[in-house]
Amino acid sequence: MSEGTFGNPEIVEVETDVLIVGGGMAACGAAYEAMRWAGDDVRVTLVDKAAMDRSGAVAQGLSAINTYLGDNSPEDYCRMVSADLMGITRDDLVFDVGRHVDDSVKLFEEWGLPIWKDKSTEGVALKDGGKPVNSGRWQIMINGESYKPIVAEAAKKALGIENIYERVFIVKLLLDANNENQIAGAVGFSVREHKLYVFRCKTLLNVCGGAVNIFRPRSTGEGMGRTWYPVWNAGSTYAMAAEVGAELTMMENRFVPCRFKDGYGPVGAWFLLFKSQAMNGYGENYMVKNADMLKDFAPYDTATVIPTCLRNHAMLKEMKDGLGPIMMDTPTAMAKLSETMTPREVKHLEAEAWEDFLDMCIGQAGVWAGMNIRPEESASELMPTEPYLLGSHSGCCGIWVSGPPDISPPEWQWGYNRMTTVKGLFTAGDGVGASGHKFSSGSHAEGRIAAKNMVRYCREHADLTPEPKGDITAITEEIYRPVRTYLEHKDKTTAEDINPHYITPKMYQQRLQKIMDEYVAGVSTYYNTNGKLLDMGLEYLEMLKEDSKHLRAKDLHELLRAWENYHRTRTAEAHLRHIMFREETRYPGFFYRADFPDLDDANWKVFVNSRMDPETGEWEMKKVPHIDLVEKHYG
Amino acid sequence: MPTFVHTEKCDGCKGGEVTACAYICPHDLMKLDTDRMKAFNQEPEQCWECQCCVKACPQQAIEVRAFADWVPMGGAAIPLRTDSAIMWTIKFRDGELKRFKFPIRTTPVGTIDAYGGKPEAGDINDELLFTESGETMPVINASA
Ligand SMILES: Cc1cc2nc3c(=O)[nH]c(=O)nc-3n(C[C@H](O)[C@H](O)[C@H](O)COP(=O)(O)OP(=O)(O)OC[C@H]3O[C@@H](n4cnc5c(N)ncnc54)[C@H](O)[C@@H]3O)c2cc1C
Ligand code: SF4
Ligand code: SF4
Repeated sequence: MSEGTFGNPEIVEVETDVLIVGGGMAACGAAYEAMRWAGDDVRVTLVDKAAMDRSGAVAQGLSAINTYLGDNSPEDYCRMVSADLMGITRDDLVFDVGRHVDDSVKLFEEWGLPIWKDKSTEGVALKDGGKPVNSGRWQIMINGESYKPIVAEAAKKALGIENIYERVFIVKLLLDANNENQIAGAVGFSVREHKLYVFRCKTLLNVCGGAVNIFRPRSTGEGMGRTWYPVWNAGSTYAMAAEVGAELTMMENRFVPCRFKDGYGPVGAWFLLFKSQAMNGYGENYMVKNADMLKDFAPYDTATVIPTCLRNHAMLKEMKDGLGPIMMDTPTAMAKLSETMTPREVKHLEAEAWEDFLDMCIGQAGVWAGMNIRPEESASELMPTEPYLLGSHSGCCGIWVSGPPDISPPEWQWGYNRMTTVKGLFTAGDGVGASGHKFSSGSHAEGRIAAKNMVRYCREHADLTPEPKGDITAITEEIYRPVRTYLEHKDKTTAEDINPHYITPKMYQQRLQKIMDEYVAGVSTYYNTNGKLLDMGLEYLEMLKEDSKHLRAKDLHELLRAWENYHRTRTAEAHLRHIMFREETRYPGFFYRADFPDLDDANWKVFVNSRMDPETGEWEMKKVPHIDLVEKHYG
Repeated sequence: MPTFVHTEKCDGCKGGEVTACAYICPHDLMKLDTDRMKAFNQEPEQCWECQCCVKACPQQAIEVRAFADWVPMGGAAIPLRTDSAIMWTIKFRDGELKRFKFPIRTTPVGTIDAYGGKPEAGDINDELLFTESGETMPVINASA
């Protein structure tokens, strides 16, 4: 094979059995579990678009593990998740994460992650009965700067470096030529060398995280990369699953976190650990003030922890009424805490407050430092962010999967736990729909659950020889088209960015963000939309999709951006179509269907599922009945 | 708040095949200018400010400065990371300095023994992960 050049990549074929696409928390869990079950007869390969030590949402670190059950029951965990997500979740999947998640957390500690301990059990490991410091009922505090390198080290050791491909961006999954609706592989390109990879596999784990930068962010100019969720998660999980005809679920759900303004710093520890309060600009507690308004969304308004979207709903009321800015009253909280503390303890508390940022949102520390904000002296502004799509944090969009056979009802299981409706295609973490609140630990555990089932799939399909459908040369040509477009047209104008023959990935992204922001309930409309706006939005999105054929790439870096933005477009389309279909306002504070402003349990306490036909590109939308497996009482 | 590289400090990772900053950036931003053998951020408005590259640079040549379109000038958050701890210097716009040190890892880097002392794989058909061997997995108790 001749060495590749820009525009003429070398084609590299890789054969394996289990292919893990992604290198984040779910992928690392999967690698660790798969290798133990695989033995000599099953090959496992992992491909990540970045470097596993710092890829995915945990790249920067975290200051808390948000899912640790400890003495809580998985049933109570199901209730909490259901309440926060306004009643529509899959109890089977949530319960399954709940019963396995602590095992992963104990492994993290064993591998070297420092987990804070209650004074009564200082120095005692969780597995030996150590009591963690809880910031909330489900959240435990850690010194988590190196969380990802630690988890990645274990995964890499398990896998072996020779089975890992870093800096390879997967563009498409491939179906099998001989077996209907069976996965057969994936194609992608190296961002470092002129190489195009064709992977063949019996089973594939699609774990590329959630979707960021689909909506126009609040930040501008140089700050545009400072979004809340990591800029690099581009919706590949949802886009690639949709394109092979996997059924999606709850893609209308989104997450709009309320964060410290402009730096997107976390507020969880401030609310839960430091007992801080948020007020409108006139010092009024808007949750108390608007309690009556929230009754429209009963019974969820009286849940032990009021759902995130309802808290946003109350905050947005104040903002729309002109009663901003919304402020987190950090000075009062710190003063209160220091009443009962020694000066040394107060200093420690201050360090903890900063560590919360420095471990997972250094940008916020930068904003505070630049603005001379010290939490013990000045209150800090809060703001609801632009929308994000994800399935593992406080959101639940994703792919429809088979549940655990020992607890799922028959209609929710088809053989292999966490397998999608495409045979051999699995997902976990941000990829699994209708079961949010897994967070870092739950995503790792879920990757492990999927991996064991994938190895079983290989054993039970030992005679399956994957034969990707379609003309591989044509597919590889398509992937490199942005490069060819650039080379063909670049000299036709004097400024290469302004050229009638192509669109740069940057402008393409901004167009997508403007469409989504203005028509699909972004920040500029206070998260409002209606059927008419959605119709127009879809029309504009269709034209954008057509123009994706004219994306240019002047180097491999731009080729990466071109395909990331293509994945964003597909994900955006699924989001739009689901919002269009669900004619109610289920998640006020996340988005409003102004033409259907009410919660409508009678008609809409159902999952919304969709499927795109891979042959025709047509979307089919449907309601799927919801069942509670755990009895729900929210108070 | 994009990264920038101090010209005198960057040595291009001594002409090695891959520079530390380019290797680690999750968003493929840090790039080596091969004429000058100095790194730079090729798309500053896409920087997440995660400081992964800052922490990885052997020369401490990379720093982050707050995004100019919003944050007043002069503040900074600067890390110094070893294998077991991280030291932070917070520099306020008004000149005050605060320093914090946090542990980051309790085991030496590279010493994780993935399967040491762990159970062998059990029954592939049950619901137990391999480390849960011998446990009984709870099922839903509808009235719990
Ligand atoms: C700001 C923030 C704060 C958070 N706070 C907490 C917290 O305090 N506690 C907690 O427990 N959890 C927290 N989480 C949640 C946690 O990080 C996620 O739940 C978890 O990382 C999800 O795991 P995942 O494997 O699904 O995705 P990720 O970990 O994001 O991994 C995605 C992987 O896919 C790769 N990838 C993407 N696209 C492609 C492609 N096309 N081809 C190849 N590879 C690709 C990426 O490089 C990455 O390796 C937080 C997340 C964020 C962003
Ligand atoms: S890691 Fe540091 S020294 Fe190496 S190229 Fe990057 S900036 Fe220069
Ligand atoms: S701070 Fe993070 S996103 Fe920015 S260049 Fe460095 S590694 Fe990349």
